[in-house]
Amino acid sequence: MYRNLVLILCLVLAASFRSANAEPIAVVTSASSPLNHLSRDTLKLIYLRKIQLDEQGKRWIPTNLPLASPLRNDFSLSLFSILPEEQEDYWNAQYFHGITPPPVMSSEEAVLRFVSSTPSSIGYVRKTLVDARVKVLLLLSPGTKP
Amino acid sequence: MRKRRHPRPAQVVFAVWMLLAWSLASLAWAADAAQQGYRLGNGYALGNSGLRLGGYSDIKVHALGADPWEFTADDLSLFISWDKNGPIRFFAELESADTFSASEHQSFSTRNIHFESERFYFDGLINDKLTFRLGKFLTPIGHWNLLHAAPLVWTGQRPVASENLFSTHAAGAMLHGTMLVDSRQLDYAVYGDVTDIIDPHLSDNPFKDAFGGQVGYQWTDNLHIGISFANFVLKDHVDERKSLVGFDALWKLKKYEISSEIVYRNKGNEANGKAMLQGFLQSVTPLPSHWFLVSRYEAFQQLQDKTGHVGVIGLAYRPSPPLVWKLEYRLGVNNDALAPNGLTASFAVLF
Repeated sequence: MYRNLVLILCLVLAASFRSANAEPIAVVTSASSPLNHLSRDTLKLIYLRKIQLDEQGKRWIPTNLPLASPLRNDFSLSLFSILPEEQEDYWNAQYFHGITPPPVMSSEEAVLRFVSSTPSSIGYVRKTLVDARVKVLLLLSPGTKP
Repeated sequence: MRKRRHPRPAQVVFAVWMLLAWSLASLAWAADAAQQGYRLGNGYALGNSGLRLGGYSDIKVHALGADPWEFTADDLSLFISWDKNGPIRFFAELESADTFSASEHQSFSTRNIHFESERFYFDGLINDKLTFRLGKFLTPIGHWNLLHAAPLVWTGQRPVASENLFSTHAAGAMLHGTMLVDSRQLDYAVYGDVTDIIDPHLSDNPFKDAFGGQVGYQWTDNLHIGISFANFVLKDHVDERKSLVGFDALWKLKKYEISSEIVYRNKGNEANGKAMLQGFLQSVTPLPSHWFLVSRYEAFQQLQDKTGHVGVIGLAYRPSPPLVWKLEYRLGVNNDALAPNGLTASFAVLF
């Protein structure tokens, strides 16, 4: 009985420790963008390529990190509650309609460079990496596998 | 004279599955290509031109009803898309159907080959909720017709309800888009089929003219539902204007899936016409090692016969989502005309 209680306590502590250390994910766009905020639901549709134009009528260019990136996993779990590879069926279906997934940047620094120099592009990086080149549109808590 | 021995359907199925094993090699090829920026199921981008080439292929062998067994390289579809991140984009699907065929009474041949422009359209993005489409496109009725490519569906034979009561394509104009309703995704489309000029190569059972619409709503994270409506005249029955309503639902959790479509077409303005109701319910259950168990029940009213009922049981092997091997058996009553009993094996790849 006591052993079970101790085990549960350890698990709760471990979970709290993880969330305390989990760094928020910053969804960023160019510092010169007139946009200041994005809702989570709109962001979802942009990353699903269901919403294609921003408020200025320009094409959204959402960017992703490589499949192997832990931040990509966290972003996908936070926004869609599934792992990136579990979206493959969805993207195959979209491909049948001529729509391809967001382009992949090789690193968070590559995201910052691309986003800062490409109007209407958005990406995500760890909050601590945000600098003056970009502005934060939304902060997400890293997701966990349901 | 020595009587010629014809292979039995089971032998043919086995032989074709062996033949299809070569396609395993394509996995290795795909792995190599991935290092060069190509991924199976994503097409090939031609530099920064905005052009992307891709497609899918389907090889099938079936022995259905009283017909002899038949082998076909059923579809070889080429996708051509152009998108330069501007307000206009283009998509076309050119298909060579029945590219190779063979049957109990015919050796390998390309004589049934024919080419079709399955889809070609321009999309003009008007705003974040509205897109204007002009060209030939898939009729937005139900779920299956919009995703009918062999690598994306679970059985080699389509459900009757997904194609029998309407034209699978329309040529004209469409307004479509996505919006948020109660924080959930709502997709909509309204369209009009107005001319043959856009579609010089008519599909089977084409519309003469038509208008309709579809609304799809992501009810929960796992459940998507849709309703469709169409009012049309078919080219082969120009005196009969009919209306059709459809309902579709797709529930997915992990790799489990349950889907259903129901369509009802009224008898229209035809004195001796017949209203018809058709539908199916399909389930997909994941098994170990990328195998899936697929089962489907279909019921369909038809013009010339009593209501047909069929059951389909099958296995699908999907080592990765763009590749699928399928083996299925269909059995039913009053189904000879639209969905005859028999065995179908197929291999499909999205490339």
